[in-house]
Amino acid sequence: MSATTAEPAPVRGVAATGGVRVRKTADAIATVVLWAMASSIIVMLAAFIIYIGYLGWSALTPSFIFGVPKETTAGGGIGPEIYNSFYILILTLLFTTPIAVAAGVFLQEYARPGGFRSIVQFSAESLATVPSVVMGLFGLLVFVYTFHWKYTALGGALTLTVLNLPALLRVTQEALSSVPDSLREASMALGGTKWQTITRVVLPSAIGRLTTGIVLIAGRIFGETAALIFTAGLSVTANKPYDLNPFHTAETLAVHLWYTHSESVVPDVDRIGNGSALVLLIMVLAFNVGARLIGRALTKRFTGRSS
Amino acid sequence: MDTQPAETSTTAAVKIETKDMNVFYGSFLAIKHASLKMKAQHVTALIGPSGCGKSTFLRALNRMHDLTPGAQVEGCVMLDDQDIYGADADPVVIRHRIGMVFQRPNPFPKTIYENVVYGPRIHGERDRRALDAIAERALRQAALWDEVKDRLQRSALDLSGGQQQRLCIARAVALNPEVILMDEPASALDPIATSKIEDLIGQLTDEYTVVIVTHSMQQAARISDDTAFFHLGEIVEVGPTNQIFTHPKEKRTEDYITGRFG
Repeated sequence: MSATTAEPAPVRGVAATGGVRVRKTADAIATVVLWAMASSIIVMLAAFIIYIGYLGWSALTPSFIFGVPKETTAGGGIGPEIYNSFYILILTLLFTTPIAVAAGVFLQEYARPGGFRSIVQFSAESLATVPSVVMGLFGLLVFVYTFHWKYTALGGALTLTVLNLPALLRVTQEALSSVPDSLREASMALGGTKWQTITRVVLPSAIGRLTTGIVLIAGRIFGETAALIFTAGLSVTANKPYDLNPFHTAETLAVHLWYTHSESVVPDVDRIGNGSALVLLIMVLAFNVGARLIGRALTKRFTGRSS
Repeated sequence: MDTQPAETSTTAAVKIETKDMNVFYGSFLAIKHASLKMKAQHVTALIGPSGCGKSTFLRALNRMHDLTPGAQVEGCVMLDDQDIYGADADPVVIRHRIGMVFQRPNPFPKTIYENVVYGPRIHGERDRRALDAIAERALRQAALWDEVKDRLQRSALDLSGGQQQRLCIARAVALNPEVILMDEPASALDPIATSKIEDLIGQLTDEYTVVIVTHSMQQAARISDDTAFFHLGEIVEVGPTNQIFTHPKEKRTEDYITGRFG
């Protein structure tokens, strides 16, 4: 240190000052630009919510949210569509979650690298690249034409199962790989079997991330349209709008939004469209917020962590 | 445990012994022809420079290499008169009898109580009162009871590093193992926590056989009865700790303990 200060300083000092000023300016500009880019995400979301909210707010009346849709006259509601959205979502998660979690546990905890594991991984990645509208046509061919189910909630849910399986598999794998190996070693070193280690240590440690991931995907399923147009249909049963039978025709809220704007002949298209968009947005945002809350609560429940 | 009544009284009895043991990682021979006797209710320290194979040796003693793809153990490891790599040996039973404490504290993300009773639980103990008694005994043996008795239902992750490591020791002794393996258990801890762990190891030999890997020669000198010096995958020298540190027979041992390499 003392050697440095004792050197003849003036020349180096001047040069350094100039360099520092340029670098400081560059640093300041970079900071502002990067901050602006990050902030733009908030601005976009806020603008989007405010605009949709402004347009749709007046439509949110009880008769709209809980009423049944009308074919030709004004004043139709979206009650059955909201019901169908949840119906198909729950059915889809019932199919997808066990398959994805089981497959994910196998790939992460049992399978050795290479061979079968690579094939499953490659298949999942390929499946993930299939556009949802193509998956919808696949569902049309299989469930509607081959099985003669017509348009059904079950057909829609099965199509969405295939569509979302890769994402849920990835969520499972990421949640499991976030569990440190030292915990697996600790359990095995206490004489735990592999299965005990997975069920008592690995899965409880991963449950928070797993749930967060599942609920985020649930938000996507809730907003899915293309894959459902050809499989779950564009209408609700007039005399039985809240049908428990999985073989009922089940237009969801997102599909309804598309349908009213493209095909419908009712006079109050804009009101229904704006209102549906707002309800859909609120639901999806609720899923996002809910995902965090539930994930945190489950982590606390299973790990005893107070924070 | 009720299976070995008499032999624990003879202090020189051998509890665990490796005979001409080789450990491979793929084709790399990490441990070469290691033969070592570890005495019951004694502390055996394994010392040597980084990469000398002491941790690899330790992990062979409770079949932890089973979990590492490509790792292979040859030769035999006798626990009393049973070869733990024998055809009839069950790793689950072996690891019940031989506990392990790792380099970094690795408590489960569960409550303090659930950490301690994890072992007994997975081996089938369901009775709440029995589990409570085990938890108290184990935490007392690990010198942690007084610090945590009022917050057993709090997360183990809220404990300090030193407390977490003593919790891991409690978790190991909860199973009443015959042998406890320790892989540099204090290397991630501050000096005060380290000295607590060292005191604890001294007390553990009342009931347990301890084998400890350490990179600290002072620690080996303070806590162990016997010391084995490892170098390049071989056991260079083994003997009473006093003798190893004052009158080593091998040149390499002397060079290492006098700080000429390592």
